[in-house]
Amino acid sequence: MKPPPFDYCCPDTLDEVLTLLAEHGEAAKVIAGGQSLVPMLNLRALHPGVLIDINRLPGLDHISLEDGQLRVGALARHKAVLESAAVSEASPLMALAYPYVSHGPIRNRGTLCGNLCHNDPASEMPAVALASGAEMVLQSAGGTRTVAAEDFFTGMLSTAAEANEILVEVRVPRAPAGQGAGFHEVSPRKGDFAYVAVGATLQVADGACTGARIVCAGVGDGPHRAYAAEDALTGAAPGDDAFRQAAAAAADSIDPSEDFHADADYRRDLVRSLTRRALADAASRCN
Amino acid sequence: MYVGQAIRRREDERFLRGRGRFVEDITLDQPIAHAAFVRSPHAHAAVTHVDTAQAAAMPGVLAVLTGADWTAAGHGEAEGVWPVKDMSGADSRTAYRPLICVDGVVRCVGEIVAMVVAEDRHQALDAAEAIEVAYEEKPANTITAGALDPDIPLVHPAFGTNEVMVTEHGLKEETEAALANAHHVTEVVVPTNRVTAASMEPRAYLGHYDRVNDRYTVWTTNQAPHIVRRYFTKSLHIPEHKLRVIAPDVGGGFGMKLYHYPEEGLVLWGAIVCDRPVRWVGTRSECLLGDTHARDHHTVGRMGFDENGKILGVKFETLAAFGAYESQWQASITNAYHFTMLSLAYDIPAIHTQVRAVYTNATPVDAYRGAGRPEAVYQVERMIENGAQEMGIDPLELRARNLIPPEKFPYQTALGITYDSGDPPVLMGKIKALADYDALRAEQARLRAEGQWMGIGISAFFDMAGAGPVKMMNDLGAKVGCYDVASVRVHPDGRITVFAGSHSHGQGHETTWSQIAADRLGCDIDHIDLVEGDTDRVPMGIGTWGSRSLSTAGMAVYTAADRVVAKAKRMAAHMMECAPEDLDLADGEFTVKGTDRKLSFAAVANASYHSGDRPSDLEIGLEETSFFDPADCTYPSAIHLCVVLVDPETCAVTLRNYWAVDDVGTVINPMVLHGQVHGGLVQGIGQALMEECAYDAESGQYLSGTFMDYAIPHAEDVPSFGLDAHFTRALGNPLGAKGAGESGTIGAPACICNGVIDALWHLGVRQITQPMTPKKIWRAIEDAKRTQH
Repeated sequence: MKPPPFDYCCPDTLDEVLTLLAEHGEAAKVIAGGQSLVPMLNLRALHPGVLIDINRLPGLDHISLEDGQLRVGALARHKAVLESAAVSEASPLMALAYPYVSHGPIRNRGTLCGNLCHNDPASEMPAVALASGAEMVLQSAGGTRTVAAEDFFTGMLSTAAEANEILVEVRVPRAPAGQGAGFHEVSPRKGDFAYVAVGATLQVADGACTGARIVCAGVGDGPHRAYAAEDALTGAAPGDDAFRQAAAAAADSIDPSEDFHADADYRRDLVRSLTRRALADAASRCN
Repeated sequence: MYVGQAIRRREDERFLRGRGRFVEDITLDQPIAHAAFVRSPHAHAAVTHVDTAQAAAMPGVLAVLTGADWTAAGHGEAEGVWPVKDMSGADSRTAYRPLICVDGVVRCVGEIVAMVVAEDRHQALDAAEAIEVAYEEKPANTITAGALDPDIPLVHPAFGTNEVMVTEHGLKEETEAALANAHHVTEVVVPTNRVTAASMEPRAYLGHYDRVNDRYTVWTTNQAPHIVRRYFTKSLHIPEHKLRVIAPDVGGGFGMKLYHYPEEGLVLWGAIVCDRPVRWVGTRSECLLGDTHARDHHTVGRMGFDENGKILGVKFETLAAFGAYESQWQASITNAYHFTMLSLAYDIPAIHTQVRAVYTNATPVDAYRGAGRPEAVYQVERMIENGAQEMGIDPLELRARNLIPPEKFPYQTALGITYDSGDPPVLMGKIKALADYDALRAEQARLRAEGQWMGIGISAFFDMAGAGPVKMMNDLGAKVGCYDVASVRVHPDGRITVFAGSHSHGQGHETTWSQIAADRLGCDIDHIDLVEGDTDRVPMGIGTWGSRSLSTAGMAVYTAADRVVAKAKRMAAHMMECAPEDLDLADGEFTVKGTDRKLSFAAVANASYHSGDRPSDLEIGLEETSFFDPADCTYPSAIHLCVVLVDPETCAVTLRNYWAVDDVGTVINPMVLHGQVHGGLVQGIGQALMEECAYDAESGQYLSGTFMDYAIPHAEDVPSFGLDAHFTRALGNPLGAKGAGESGTIGAPACICNGVIDALWHLGVRQITQPMTPKKIWRAIEDAKRTQH
């Protein structure tokens, strides 16, 4: 009742979706769970000409582990992903982060792929995708392409997906054996958008860190990867000293936004403390 | 006996099954049109042009109305039920909230500039979007603390000041002397954050005009339907007897739904203009902005102690926000409920308070669950906490030394209010045991040695509940009589309908009023129905607010039921050929004392209506009404105690434990009481830790317009509450009952804030403005570090 007027299509096949996207382009919005889109419509912050509802498409709600990749389809709901054994097996980081993703009723309906396409800067899953080296499978009438997470998230609420493309699947490489993960977040209430969230993965060989990924949410216009902090860890002995140094580097690497919820200094300090905690957790889970 | 039993709520069946009937559920035999509103996006602006032409031509649009139309129709604005009076006794600088902008100036974000009425809601919203309004922005101020500073923009330039009024109460000279002679003086600056009720059901109104019979009807989310008629006498100039007000099921009020909101008057206006029923149901964003806000005091306080921590005197200077306009009950806070309660549960010989009410370019402030008392408790308890910490006296011990001892009751405070009954030391003893206080302090010391920050918070207070008596509340500024009304109608088959002037919007009156009536009438509770919320069915009522209904409407039920019994006994005595005094009434039967002679209540009821064989001076029928004016307010009291943990790095707060020991006098239904305490505590926790109606200081834009930005606690944000009770009887009503609706919101903000300060005191933190969000705690610690180095 509250949104501005729009046309509504509810196709039965992906081909029809792609045709509609080709036809309407920028005027179209794909709706899956609608948990971000519908509030924006109701606030009349968006005025799309046509909504393309993909909820009737068959075979897009898969969550599977094939060829060393976790594959999550466009209609897989947060709740299903959260509870999936394939996710905890393939991506401990995603499994650790998922309880922070929104609230139960929203998880029942919202989708991982929709969440990634929305790319809210305080959202957990874009950061997880970035840390995990995920790939986005984008399909249009012209064909299919895959885009790496680091190229996909292009800025505040924006991605590399073209107006005629739909994200049909996200693929997350299976975490290497022995990798540990940690995830920490501070938000107004559990499930709210993060003031700051930090995810980390770590591998240790012969008493030295061999590979570290550190990502932050809530600190800028999209997910942030703290390369300098990762570099600081490489070759270092895992432990409190190294983690504190990496945490300081992570805090230095951001230029956080300032809003009603948190100011920049506080966000920077949160990145420091949460990075240290995430690394300590990750190290404790390495084997 | 039903009173005292935890009977399951009789209304819950329909609520739990989704069968409640709220304003949005009302259907009529005419199709209902919908209203949508154009609201000011600016905090302060001149409205230079409103172009409605395009909107008026859009599909489904029935009318587009502006302030010019309102003025042309001769309509006005509702008068205050509790208007401002300053200390001189004069009516002070009153600017009532207009229903629609009529003078070409909008003074807060959200002020209504135009209304669209259309066949459906969608069309109304589309047309509202098509109305073009030209604004010239003016400088605005939304901040209470600086509202009287020079160079601050004036909300109402005609007054020449942002000051609404000044009030002073208490013992000025004695207080100055006490502070001058004190061994130790604590000073605090304590702003109370602006919050709003955020009721589960948004505000909603449906207006209807019956042109044939010249009768108006308004369905409204209101807590006091009879008072709504009073508002309309001045806004749309409708005589009270012409207007039927129905408040059906209402999903939460908390004081916020007491007022004549613009939309309530405008939908009825739209109905008259369009000759169609018109409805509006608020969106969350409209309600977070347009529902009255609450609290928003800025207080500087000084408290003097002797060397043993005994409080000698306390002085307050407060700026109290009114927002852009005066809402109808606004001065109930400043002139009745705030200053009166500043002694809390303490024996304080000298208190003086000055309140200056101020206009700001913000949503009007009015009463919300607690109304003045949460502010009072926060202001006093923050000083007590800091005083105890500064003097090195255990905070609970210092409070215990200052509690009003039982032998001093009835206790007259330095502000002239007399608490009829209570026993704070017993409450303190109970909460100390319940929380295992000494063990908590030991744990706190151990954790602090480990670098963990644990705090213990305490608050102890009295509440002024149960408004009346009429005279006392008139003296405190009320323009409505604070009594309440009930009729008990016995039908010829012996079943009973109770009509009450209260209104249940979560309180559970269908259960508790029936418990009272069933006990008085000696009948099965299932033989009683309750009618509330309809001015055509209930004779009169002042409504449900301020924890008043039990000791006013509830007592009217009690009194009317007793009158019914007295009359029925006369009829029964005539039928049984005995004296009325010889009869007992229980289990639906009259029994002649000492015999086995019985006569059913139903038979007496039937005879009361249908038998010519009755005492010659006994009127036909069995129905009685009581207009109950209580002998006194009631003064419930409580002590709260909590444990908070503050993360030393992230500054996130965990509320680990919360205990409350309440004295609410006689309890009708312990389950309902616990529900009241739990709900109030959660709202108080919200005020302490996360809720804030925030404005951008520069632009005056409202920042809390959705539930993503206005956080209210979830179940997992609150601990399981530990409750205990000790009951002293209220002296002002026959059941000895006190109010119980506001204890949680009154005590929790101060208690939790004291807990956080206690956790951080060793770091040098002395005060944090509520809500104590992690960023503010972090900043306070950083500031303290800098100050100390």
